[in-house]
Amino acid sequence: MNATSHKPPLAEAAALIEAAQRRRQGALSEYEAKRLLGLYGIAVTREMLAADAAAAAAAAARLGFPVALKGCHWTLQHKTEADMIRLGLVDAAAVAAACAELAPRLPEGGEWLVQEMVSGKREVMLGLARDPQFGACISLGIGGIFAEAVGDVVFRIAPFDALEAEAMIDELRLGSLLGPFRGLPPADRGALARALLALSDIAQAFPAIREIDINPMIIAGAQPVAIDALVILQP
Amino acid sequence: MSATLHPLFNPRSIAVIGASEGTSATGAPKMGASALQHLIEHRFPGRIYPVNPRGGTLMGLETYRSIAEIPEEVDLALIVVPLDACLDAVRQCVAKNVKGAVVFTSGFAEAGRADLQEEMVRIAREGGLRLVGPNTAGFVNVAGDMVASISMVCQINPFRKGPIAFVTQSGALGGSMLGRGMEQGIGFNCWVSTGNEADLDAADYVDYLLERPEVKVVALFLEGVRDAAKFFAMAAKAARLRKPIVVYKTGVSEVAAEAAASHTGALAGSDRIFDAVCRQFGLVRVDDVAMLFPVALTFAWVGERLPMGRRMAVVSASGGICGVAADECARAGLDLPELTEAAKEKLRGFTPPFASLRNPIDVTGQIRSYATGYQDTVRTVLAEPYIDGVLLLVTMAAEPRASFYGREISKLTAEAGKPVIVAWTGALSVAAQGYPMLTANAVPNFLSVRQAIEAMAALERYRAFLDRQEQRKAVGDRP
Repeated sequence: MNATSHKPPLAEAAALIEAAQRRRQGALSEYEAKRLLGLYGIAVTREMLAADAAAAAAAAARLGFPVALKGCHWTLQHKTEADMIRLGLVDAAAVAAACAELAPRLPEGGEWLVQEMVSGKREVMLGLARDPQFGACISLGIGGIFAEAVGDVVFRIAPFDALEAEAMIDELRLGSLLGPFRGLPPADRGALARALLALSDIAQAFPAIREIDINPMIIAGAQPVAIDALVILQP
Repeated sequence: MSATLHPLFNPRSIAVIGASEGTSATGAPKMGASALQHLIEHRFPGRIYPVNPRGGTLMGLETYRSIAEIPEEVDLALIVVPLDACLDAVRQCVAKNVKGAVVFTSGFAEAGRADLQEEMVRIAREGGLRLVGPNTAGFVNVAGDMVASISMVCQINPFRKGPIAFVTQSGALGGSMLGRGMEQGIGFNCWVSTGNEADLDAADYVDYLLERPEVKVVALFLEGVRDAAKFFAMAAKAARLRKPIVVYKTGVSEVAAEAAASHTGALAGSDRIFDAVCRQFGLVRVDDVAMLFPVALTFAWVGERLPMGRRMAVVSASGGICGVAADECARAGLDLPELTEAAKEKLRGFTPPFASLRNPIDVTGQIRSYATGYQDTVRTVLAEPYIDGVLLLVTMAAEPRASFYGREISKLTAEAGKPVIVAWTGALSVAAQGYPMLTANAVPNFLSVRQAIEAMAALERYRAFLDRQEQRKAVGDRP
């Protein structure tokens, strides 16, 4: 009944995870996490790593203003709580100032992650958790500031197929948000389903990954884009 | 599983090891007496061999001092000896080449003696003996009049036979559910209390019971899943055979989630994950233990007439209950499409002038003055192509009107190609002939509107699952 075909791990993704393990990281940094997701076809923000404030400002100019600036290190797993995010920086001076402000809290070996700003009124969150009994579980939930209060999240056991991914989207109580909603175009369901399948593939390919959060994934126009991602590795 | 379990469920001969006649201090029969008595009273068609070191006769049957003394082959042994004698009894069964044994005795893993349990399983497996239990109320092959149980539910005699295979991980609660279910007119094919599942577990029993042609549906009371892969395989087999498994699960609290580092991990409590398992593998989950059998029976009676979609019609003679039904349908995710003008025009021909012909359809109390108005209304909505199922709500109906409903709804249901479910909310004491006609004629019926609508929603979810399975077959997709 469930899928039997295990896709082999992508070599580049495997190398990325092995390198992190060699460095004894308990998680991937956001930059690494999104590279992994990108390799599996999930749309992520355009972003660049910068070693210092000057490089960050230059990166911002290349990406185009406004940008977001985040401290980037594998230990920074909850950046909002750690106050390591500045959004909507409009010029090089603002980027430099933000770096200066955040620098005291940046962990040893940390870098700056400069990102394009992606706007969209609707957010979802995707994830992977491993159940001791049933194995890898992939989640899809309505995101945003009310996400926890709303608690609209559904799971499937990996691996699963496109029909199950579609069924997950249909199962959301607030699934109508993803249709044509208040003048917004319907979210690209196919892209969302493919992202869920990609997580299913990642879960199968990399037992070394314990948990994943893609939160938020903003529906930009119709396109779901991963804004932040957390990949926790097995201890 | 069939080769393994068929001889256990259809034994030609049964030995009761530790059979007795006595009563305990409370006046209740001893376990060894119950086991023997239930076999005899339920007229087990095969041979019964009581085993007791004292020999003689028990309940009129020749009693053997040991299992080795039994002159013929023994298919199944019921072990009702004290804890410290269990391993020896199992050894004797192995020596006698017995195929299966039910170990009723408690005090094993559930009481901290996992070592004793493991040793017993080892002895059994090496000797090719399969074990039910230990710490079980036993099992009943209702269809085959084989009652290998010490549960007091066996005092109900005869058992009511029917399409449900009931597997439970709780013996005492299971027995009570079985008894109450039979009193409510629900019939069973089998009942298994799985006990500690030292050897065979719930998935093994379900896997086997699905193969019995008379089993149309499985009702499963679950506390935990022992082996996920086996559980998935069981579900896949049920889907292949199009026999639904209706499941109620306890222990849905959030334990594993606490240690999670991610948001996803924190959300992934056992309840949500089990819910995902049910949806993905086509198990029909109920969240009210009292709904386990009624929903299972609804599946058995509806059979292949599953709703093709979520679009329902509601017919009643009460405007008040129509409002309740509209709210409950919305809650359950079922739609109530408005009837077409053509359908309404047709209905106007046989309903009172004040009838409300939107959907829900309120034919009003005046309908009783129209000889065939109710039946024609129901028949008309059943025939509308955009209606996938019909809910009939009977409020206060006393005889002879109650019998009118019982009789006509039974006919309408029998001829319908779509599911019909009844909610009967009125007093039953004045509907003593009419209301029971529904169950007698296999019309799914409930005493509450919410339950009737939840049952319909369960049918629809299962049909959607089967659709996905069909699509997979059609495209040869990986499932």
